[in-house]
Amino acid sequence: MGAQGLRAVTPRWFSVWKRNAYVYAKRWKLYALPPLAEPFLLVFALGIGVGSFIDQIEGVTYLVFVSAGLIASETLLRATFECTYGSFFRMTYQNTFEGIITTPVSASDVAMAEIFWGATKASISALAVLLVLAVLGVFSGPLLVLVPLIIFAGALNFSSMALIVSSRVPDLEYFTFYFAGVVFPMLFLAGTYFPLSRLPEIVQSAMWLLPFTSVVDVARSLIIERPDSMIYWKSLYILVSTVVLMELAIRSLTNRLVR
Amino acid sequence: MIEARSLTKRYKELTAVDGLDFTVPDGSFFTFVGPNGAGKTTTIRMMCGLTPITSGSLEIAGMSLPDQVADVKSVLGVVPQESSLDRDLTVMENLLIYAGYFGIEKKLARSRAEELIEFVELTNKIDSQPEELSGGMRRRLLIARSLINNPRLLILDEPTTGLDPKVRRSIWDTLQDLTTQGMTLVMSTHYMEEASELSDIVAVMDHGKILSSGPPDELTADYDGSLEKLFLSMTGKEHD
Repeated sequence: MGAQGLRAVTPRWFSVWKRNAYVYAKRWKLYALPPLAEPFLLVFALGIGVGSFIDQIEGVTYLVFVSAGLIASETLLRATFECTYGSFFRMTYQNTFEGIITTPVSASDVAMAEIFWGATKASISALAVLLVLAVLGVFSGPLLVLVPLIIFAGALNFSSMALIVSSRVPDLEYFTFYFAGVVFPMLFLAGTYFPLSRLPEIVQSAMWLLPFTSVVDVARSLIIERPDSMIYWKSLYILVSTVVLMELAIRSLTNRLVR
Repeated sequence: MIEARSLTKRYKELTAVDGLDFTVPDGSFFTFVGPNGAGKTTTIRMMCGLTPITSGSLEIAGMSLPDQVADVKSVLGVVPQESSLDRDLTVMENLLIYAGYFGIEKKLARSRAEELIEFVELTNKIDSQPEELSGGMRRRLLIARSLINNPRLLILDEPTTGLDPKVRRSIWDTLQDLTTQGMTLVMSTHYMEEASELSDIVAVMDHGKILSSGPPDELTADYDGSLEKLFLSMTGKEHD
């Protein structure tokens, strides 16, 4: 057996990423417009609606506080949808991967392309939220330019996690367990919509194990221009966990396709 | 073109392919024939690098699998059993995007795609989606796609399963055109008639083993020219 995981990936992965981007570009109105409408809805519902009941959280308005959560949520959900339903559909119902891996493109290349494609699509949506909020004047500041980096690293992380699940489930229906058991608890409890400190300590500790919590926290500290001393460690944790999850996802999908 | 020695694939308790030895000469049409579950598809998948080899050796065009899998796949064309056409793309886009997986430059890919679409008589369907094509057209498009890299070896897994006799004939004509162009073809089929009609060499398989192999005329000389009768005499069972 030759190299596996990240070491088995070749530059050919990019041809599969281009295939996904081509299909996306063909139907951009279908794929891109709904996610662009969401930020407006979220700003109204959470920022102005819910926010009107809350004076301030951690020294900022609720809309400013929650904006990092909205950006991170968008990243998590888009990456997860793309690399669960999207990847599974291409793999199983459309047999797209089976067709690709009879060419010099390997299963590892396909996995890498799916992870990067999921991350690309998620980043487009999350950056749209960031842009809308910035244009509305919700926040501004020099550290904002670093937020896309955190978004993209997080998106790679969540795409990899989703691809691991996709390569192991026998059927689409099983994704409901992943969403109910992992994605939604993460989405609601990671300090996304309210400060993590409100939760019992044991839950807080558990939540810090999930990279999503660090993504929310780092994005928030950059948005409100108050990076704490732990920001480097949290960023490092996002990066290291991303590399580990990518390695696992590539191996897992390869085992599913080459059998 | 292909040398297999003691080629074996085991899945836990099941031995799907059991120590195959065979040689496919350059420019020949070689067919694995046998019932479902005989090990034909597993053998084909090992040739394509889609299934790891448990033991034995397999060389294609002088390169060994799995060590040189990407190089081997660059000289292969593969027509799979189940349609793996890209449903998000049109007929033309299917070929162009596929060419990208081989790293074929865009201009060359387009001229090659146009030639191939003409070769498989789909010129008037160039902008259609795969689901708008009939079963026979989809199979022809798969053949066109498999030729985009100008392969030295074309591998076909049950290329006419599920097609009506007339369409099957047209696929046979296409494959015969390719053999006259000097291409090496390896096919798996469970249609005995198809194997006799098209092949230079037939390997009759059952339970993961090659029971007999050689030119169809020689193999069936004592069986009224019938592969069905040969199969029956060797296994004691009717072929499905």
